[in-house]
Amino acid sequence: MSSLILSRRTLLAGTTLLAAPAILSRRSQAAEQCVVGTWGGDYARLLRENIDDPILKPAGIEVVQDVGDESPRVAKLYAQKKLPRGAQDIACMGALNGYRVTDADLVEPLDETKVPNLKHVHPNLRTAAFVPHIYSAQVLVYNTEVVKDPPQSLADLLDPKWQGKVGVLSQGGNQWLIIAASLLQTGTTTDFDKAKEFLLKLNGNGLRLYAETDAFAPAFKSGEITVAVIWLARSVMWQNAGVPVKGTFPKEGSVLYVSGMAMPKNAPDKEAAYKYMNALLEPSAQQGFAAHMGYLPTVDNAPLSGKVGEQLALPEPAPKLVPPDYSVISKMIPDMNDWWLKNIAHA
Amino acid sequence: MPERREAGAALVLLGPASLMMVLMLVAPLAILARDSFNRYDPNELMIAAVTPANYLRFFDDPFYWNVLVTTIRVSVIVTIVCLALGLPMAWRLARSTSRWKSALVVLTVLPLFIGSTTRTAGWMILFARGGMLDIVSRDVLHIGTVNLMYSESAVIAGIIAIVLPFTILTLQSVFEGIDARLEEAAASMGAAPSRAFWRIVFPLAVPGVAIAGVLCFILCMNAFATPVLLGGPRFQMMAPLLYYAFNSDNNWPFAGAIAFILMGTTLGLTGLANLLIPRRYQAR
Repeated sequence: MSSLILSRRTLLAGTTLLAAPAILSRRSQAAEQCVVGTWGGDYARLLRENIDDPILKPAGIEVVQDVGDESPRVAKLYAQKKLPRGAQDIACMGALNGYRVTDADLVEPLDETKVPNLKHVHPNLRTAAFVPHIYSAQVLVYNTEVVKDPPQSLADLLDPKWQGKVGVLSQGGNQWLIIAASLLQTGTTTDFDKAKEFLLKLNGNGLRLYAETDAFAPAFKSGEITVAVIWLARSVMWQNAGVPVKGTFPKEGSVLYVSGMAMPKNAPDKEAAYKYMNALLEPSAQQGFAAHMGYLPTVDNAPLSGKVGEQLALPEPAPKLVPPDYSVISKMIPDMNDWWLKNIAHA
Repeated sequence: MPERREAGAALVLLGPASLMMVLMLVAPLAILARDSFNRYDPNELMIAAVTPANYLRFFDDPFYWNVLVTTIRVSVIVTIVCLALGLPMAWRLARSTSRWKSALVVLTVLPLFIGSTTRTAGWMILFARGGMLDIVSRDVLHIGTVNLMYSESAVIAGIIAIVLPFTILTLQSVFEGIDARLEEAAASMGAAPSRAFWRIVFPLAVPGVAIAGVLCFILCMNAFATPVLLGGPRFQMMAPLLYYAFNSDNNWPFAGAIAFILMGTTLGLTGLANLLIPRRYQAR
């Protein structure tokens, strides 16, 4: 009987030994998986269509999307910073959060030898650890059927003829409009006292606030607003949906919104993440996003042609495109949002 | 040992649900309570501390007080309207012997089959400039443009539409539990139907009506989608305020404090309402 027990143990041990290579090699197979924390909807779909399926799949990398909002995704990076192995290989976020997570030492610095396409990124969009994926400029969007003499500057919107006809975004705040007001008043992106003075006047002219960007198109259609201060990309999407709008670049300069990706320091598979970063800067991927979302390519080797080329062509002379000073703004935003809520939204 | 067996049975019956509650509700609440005493930094997010600063920030600022008062005002109005509309409907439904009764109950429940956000989107189509009411008022009645969007009235109407079915269903089950023969007895002694209702049925229903009111009030205090979509950015209620603190700044400590202030206010006011019900009407 005892020999039977012994032989059973031996059998178990033998089986484990035989299975060992398979168990151990699972880790290396799973290494070709890249977890991308991203927004859902069109953005996630376009990532799949322009990056995951055509570029990474043939390279043997399986992409898994972890869909959610930006704030929880960024909070997750902070929460997991002490873990040896995080949950994401790539985290999508705006450049402002990109600055914050870089400042908090949560993300891996960029390495041009592993992401060769970085050399094509526009110099004013380059940062130490954040790959800019797409960008757009904040412009004055107007209804082409109603407005014959479009505003040329944010200051023009104080004219009583625009009373109650200007719409802006208000999602607990609108730091981009505050930055634009600072740019108008002082030529810098960080003078918030001067910006506040202007915004109070603008609000006094019957500023209309919308909680969602999707609310602007119906407001243009119904005639509720004739001008909006919003991203050029949105105006392109509305044009494609048949809304008669056009964007003009304010003469004092346009604030840039940059969206991109960063790699957490504890990313489970850094090699796959580098390949992903490189893929998102490929001209074909950049052109795909421009065509469907109206965002501008962040690289210099992805020219746009046809309808999208016309829609996104920058006017002559070239408008002033101004990236915000994230080092100052990142610390000011909570106060700016608080001020906005109390003085603009609740006025 | 029947007592011991009873205790064992109680443990088996109550244990799983209690364990789930502890894991899914009490533990996250405890963590959030702890977070609400932390410090916030825009670049570090949350810094471990024990400070009442987030609670003080709320109570020191008239703006936040206003938001709390608006939330309570909207919730009280909606609760009163829902009880006023729900009582006769629920009573009629409970006493109905018609073959259409089940169809009427289904009609009451039907709005609950559609998500509250979708229903609110319907209200937006009705209320907005260029919406149905606007078109009728402008083009059919020629009395000018109507824009009810982004107003407190729109929010109240929207929340009533969401909460009313819950109120009616709760009240209906309360009236179903009151013997109809009591009303017949009252009628046989000469009481008119309204007198029978207010003197006999309503006092018996008070504990149930209070529960319906509390349910309605709690749902309103926590309303999120309706204030955001129908109230717009210039109208503030507590749940959207909490969401913006959490989502636009990642300010978990302050959002946690707002959550506990909202929860405390709701529980406090609910307890107060219970005290206001005369003792002889309270459920025992």
